[in-house]
Parts: sequence; C-alpha cells; structure tokens
Amino acid sequence: MTLIRFRASQVQDADLSVTYDAVVVGSGAAGGMAAHVLTSQGMKVLLLEAGKKIDINAELRSMEWPYDHPRRGEAPPGYHAIRFNEYNVRKPPYAKGSAFKHVFSYVGGWGGSDYVKNILVDEKDHPYTGTKYAWVRARLLGGKTNIWGRLALRLSDYDFKGKTHDGYGEDWPISYADLEPYYDKVDLYLGISGHKENLPHLPDSLFQRPNKLTASEVKLRKSLAGMGRTLTPYRAGVTTDGVKNKYRSKCFGRGACGRRPGGCDIHAAFDSPTGLIYPAMDTGNLTLRTNSIAHEVLVDPNTGKARGVSFVDSQNHRTYEAKAKVVILAASTLESARLLLLSKSRAYPNGIGNSSGHVGHNFCEHVMGPGVTGLVKEMVGAPPTLDDGKPGGFYVPRFRNLQDKQPGFIRGYGFEGGSGFSIFPDSAWDTPGFGGQFKKSVREHAGAFISMGGFGEVLARYENYVDLDPVEKDAWGIPVLRFNYQFGDNEKKMCEDMANAGKEMFEAAGIEVVGVDKNILTEGWSIHELGTARMGTDPKTSVLNQFQQSHDVKNLLVVDGSSHVSASCQNPTWTIMALAWRSCEHLADEFKRGNV
Amino acid sequence: MTISRREMIQQTAAAAAALPLVRALPPLAPVPPKFFTAAEFALVDEMSDMIIPTDQQSAGARAAGCATYIDARLAEAFEKDEPQHWRAGIKAVEALSQEMHGKPFMASTPDQRLALLTRIAVAESDPKTDAEKFFRQIKGATIRAYYTSKIGIHDDQQYKGNVIQPGDYAGYDAT
Repeated sequence: MTLIRFRASQVQDADLSVTYDAVVVGSGAAGGMAAHVLTSQGMKVLLLEAGKKIDINAELRSMEWPYDHPRRGEAPPGYHAIRFNEYNVRKPPYAKGSAFKHVFSYVGGWGGSDYVKNILVDEKDHPYTGTKYAWVRARLLGGKTNIWGRLALRLSDYDFKGKTHDGYGEDWPISYADLEPYYDKVDLYLGISGHKENLPHLPDSLFQRPNKLTASEVKLRKSLAGMGRTLTPYRAGVTTDGVKNKYRSKCFGRGACGRRPGGCDIHAAFDSPTGLIYPAMDTGNLTLRTNSIAHEVLVDPNTGKARGVSFVDSQNHRTYEAKAKVVILAASTLESARLLLLSKSRAYPNGIGNSSGHVGHNFCEHVMGPGVTGLVKEMVGAPPTLDDGKPGGFYVPRFRNLQDKQPGFIRGYGFEGGSGFSIFPDSAWDTPGFGGQFKKSVREHAGAFISMGGFGEVLARYENYVDLDPVEKDAWGIPVLRFNYQFGDNEKKMCEDMANAGKEMFEAAGIEVVGVDKNILTEGWSIHELGTARMGTDPKTSVLNQFQQSHDVKNLLVVDGSSHVSASCQNPTWTIMALAWRSCEHLADEFKRGNV
Repeated sequence: MTISRREMIQQTAAAAAALPLVRALPPLAPVPPKFFTAAEFALVDEMSDMIIPTDQQSAGARAAGCATYIDARLAEAFEKDEPQHWRAGIKAVEALSQEMHGKPFMASTPDQRLALLTRIAVAESDPKTDAEKFFRQIKGATIRAYYTSKIGIHDDQQYKGNVIQPGDYAGYDAT
C-alpha cells in the first residue's frame, strides 16, 4: 500500500496590475472555501495570505516516534508557550518584555510543541491588549486548518432559531433548511466520518465510515442511552473512505492527531491547502500570494464600493495594492473585524461596513474547562489494545434546554472525550510513590481511564467586543486589537452544571469518578471565536445580510466565523465552510448577472 | 543520541540488572555528562532507576537512559533557574543522606537509599523541604523521559499504535 505523495502546486507570481474578479483575504477554512467556489464558477481570484507557505509535511512528521526526536517533541530552548496562570495573572500583551526568544499561545505547550513552532504566530510580533484572552493564531497557508481539532458538527434550528426557542439574542437570518444542502456539499467534497444518530439538535452528516469506540466508551454509550443521551464516535472532518482529490489520502488510523497539537501529513484530516486551495489552483483561476498582510479595504470614493485591498509584504515591509471587483474577507473572526475597523475613510469613518456600530461586537465563542475523569475498573490490568489510532474519541451532544428548561442558565453544552491506551500513560503523573509498585500500577491502569470536557455556548452580547488599540502596533506597524471581553453569569452557571452532569453520567455508568475539574479556562481557550460582524435582516443591528454581504457595501463579503449570530455549542468549522459555500455560490450568480 | 549509543546503554544496563542489587552500581554515563558533575549524574541515574526500576516486564530508567536525557535538557535549558534547582535539590538530598546515614547517597547501602527516597516521597502531594521538592522534580522528569523512550513505549507499555491500519480500524462499533 502506498500513501499519496504529491508536489504542491507552485505559488504563482501575483500580477497586481490587473483587476481580479475577487480578492480573498485569508486562506483558512473560509478563505479556502471562497477561493474554491468562486474559481470553480470561473471567476478570477487573488488569494492573499498573511503568513508564509511552509513545507507542512516536513513540519508535522506525523509518525515520528518521541525517542527519534532530540527533545522528544519539545521545541528548542528559548521557545515558550504561555501558561494558564500567565494568561490570568498578567495582562496582554503577554510577550511584552519576555526574555524568551519566541513566545507562543498555550497550544505551543501541548505535547509536540516542536511540530507547531512554525505554524503558530510568535506573540512577540503579534501583540494585543485589553482583557485577558488566550488568542490562538496560525499565520501560514491554510491558517488554523493545519492543526484544527477536526470535530465537524452541524448546527440545527435550536441554534439558528435560538431566540424563537428561548427569547434571548437574535435569530439567524437563515434556517437549517437553507444551509442543509451546503452542509451536504461540504461533507461530500471534503469527507467526514461519523455515525448516524438521528438527533434533531445535532443533524447527521453524509458520513463516511466512523471511528471505532473503546470498550469503556461502549459502556458509557449504553448507559447514556438509558438516560436519553448520546455518546457518538467523534464526528471528524477526516476522510476515512477517501475523496476525489489527488492531494489527500484516506485515513489509516495512525493516530498522531491525538498526541500532537494536530496536523496530518497525509491530509486525511481536512486542511484548506490540500482540500480547497490546490484544487482551486488547478482550475487556472486562482492566484495565490503569501506573506501578504492586508491592512485596509480600499474604497472608490465615487461609488462607495470596495475597489481592492492594501497589504504589506511581511518580508520586505513594502505596501502594495490588489485591485478587485469584489472583496471577500476571511481572515478569521477577530482579524476580519480588525480589518473592517482599520478601513476608515471619508465614506466610512467608523470602519468599512460599520454603519451599525456592531463590528467587533456580539463577540462570542465556547466556554470550556469543566470536565470529569473516571476509572473503568474492569479495564484495570487489561492487555494493551490499539485505542488511539483515530482522529478523536467521542462526543456527547447537548442535552440541556432542548425539551427542558434549566433554572440557572439558557442554551447548552456538549462534551468531547477520550479513553483507553495512548502513546503516553498520562495517569503516571498522578500515580503516587515510586519503584516496582509504581511502575506496575502505571502499566495496569494505562488503558482504564476515560475523561471528557465540556464546550458550552457563550451568549453573544453587545458588551463583549474588540476594538483597535489607540497606541499598540504589531511588527508591521498595524494597530492591534484591544479586547473588552469576559464570560458572564450564564457561562458560569452553565459550567457548574457541566461538572455536575459529567460526574452524574459517569456514576450512572458505574465508572468510578477520580477527578472533577470545575475551573473555567481563560477566555479564548476553545479557539472558537465568533460573531464580530454578525449577519441579520436589520442593517441597524447587524453587519452582513444572509449571504454574508455587507449591508453598507454590496461588493464586500465577510465569510468567516465573524458572521455567526450565535455561537451554539457545536464546533464551528463545518458551518463556516457551508455558509461560505452558500454565500459564494450566490455571489457568483449575482456577479454573472452584473449585480455586484 | 545515536542508536549505537542507546543500545550500548541498554546492554550495559541489562548486564547490570542481572547482578544482585546489593552494592552500588558504577555510574553508567558513557560520555561525560553535559550539565551534571559525574557525582551528580550518578545520583540522578541511581534515583531515577529506583523510581522506575527494572522488573519482569521491562528494563528501568537507567537502561532507558533517563539521566542522560535529563542531563542533555538541563545543559541547554534557556531558563537557568531550572538547572540550579536540580543542583540545589541534589545538595539537599546529600545533606539529608549525611543526616540520616552519615555518608553520601551513593556511598550508602541500597536499604539506606531506599529509606531516604521513601522519606522524601512521603510528602509527594505537598512537598515542603528542598529534598521533598527534589523528589517531585526527578520523578516528573523520569516519567517524561522513561515513557517517551523505546523501552518505555514498546517494552513496558507495549503500545500498539502509531501504525498504519490498512483495513478495518481497531475497536468497537457504536451499535
């Protein structure tokens, strides 16, 4: 059997003298999808990526054994990842005054930090200010899709019509029926693995074969079924049966995805370059320019329409202009908001597309931290089995505030979890003593633990926002974001319930609870920031229409997570791509009719 | 570390393990340590091997080269506090050994070493003295080094993963 080997499409020289049909800013899930859809419709697209293009396979080395790495996967001396305590004790910018040569977000402190040192941004070059926030950024071709967690979930009308359900916030300007065909397209084009459960609040995808469960997970699944709850194999944005794409292999269950910050060097896990951008380049309609930091959407003063993007080359620090008939922002929820706010002109003194004053506001995400660890007694002493050869463990979908009404909080949360044997016996850290007894105990318990942690919906609130810092600038002289953001009472109450419910579910399954974590992790930890340029029907209270098109500027779209009206508790990547597909298909139709 | 050097450590350790553990083993650093003195290295090597010893399943921390790995990381450490903590911890252990047995750790009998290690391990969950803190430090470092070593992963844990599964994935269906 051979794994797919390929040469990535060569980066083309970007001709900046021509006017492109569209310029797309950002090459992650959203920008990659925009480039894919528009080029497949025959539009000529320039894709600007702020980061570099690296040899990602050489970086990830998915099957490298720890002992074959000089530091067992750790980054070289002088590299530092911000710790939980630093986020909470200090104020951003966290890298200011640091003696370390390079400072990374907390993800750089996970096992395998050496594998992400060229993927995550160096906080020294990319400061931000304001309230505490664990902002995780990846600047390179493909952005965070190079190392994303792969959990690929759909939203339902419990999310899109949340206000109708419980009265809070705003409904989305679309319903599940509008997006369902595009979820289907994303499933089929990129591949997704999972097991059908027929849940109204977590619609099934068009699944390829699912990941398997461990014996402990089967036990918990059976017990939860009796409680009317579900444990389902991790719904992974990973092709397990293969897709028609010469740049990607199907998944062979090698398992590195669980023991590193992420990344797949055979690209069975979706990433934007192999899944979307290289195929788009093969159409001949896509031009890619990396190292291009967009800092302003340019405006034609006569028409008020966007005419292109101004960007700085990260290497030579020179400023360039890219001209286009349509400007599409996909720089990530926070960077797209920053770019809108940076684009001040006589026509748009508060930033382009910001007549509502809502850009940067209604910022939401997922809250996490509370979780539970249990010991499955019958697994103590069981012979080692291959339990970690998969993109993820399991998912327990939301069960709160669907039919019931919780007294302390609205909306809900799901759990991500895992169990069984892995390459490193984490329980060794908590096994007391030393010597033969210690060693034997570690061995016997290595496969007997199961754990899960909650991901809860953070309510979108106008008071939670980002704006531009009046003083601080990044390494290229561009004003940085200032955070005014914190969790509220609903999140805190929800987190208390997460810990209690997790404990109850394990106990009901006859799993001995050995640890309950009640601490809430720093804002930002979930890496699911959303909502800073939300969609809506009312231009006074929203930034974009249902096709992610600016209410103010018809040829300006923002197709990333900033458009989301609420966070739901489901991971956003699949929804980001389904929305971008829908909006860009609509845009291409309108473009052909001359309506943009 | 080259393969041949790792194998040499393993072979030496296997030979040592075959001996009854009644006398002090000589330091097994095949090359001079980079950070530790020879005496410090001998203590770290011995103590790591007491924390994770050879048993019927697999060789221990000495054979897995844990002290050599720890030494290499400390030699290049960017934050200089950490190596100094180790040095201070070793001094505290030596002082305790003098107090308990009137001689250096490596000059004491296996029973005496065990008594010392037992004493500093008691307060593991809430260490107070420098020697107690050192136990936590060396235990953590030994765990990290041992369970990322060839011996730890393959011989001891008998880890089944990091392999290509061409057909069905291992595990159970969600039925």
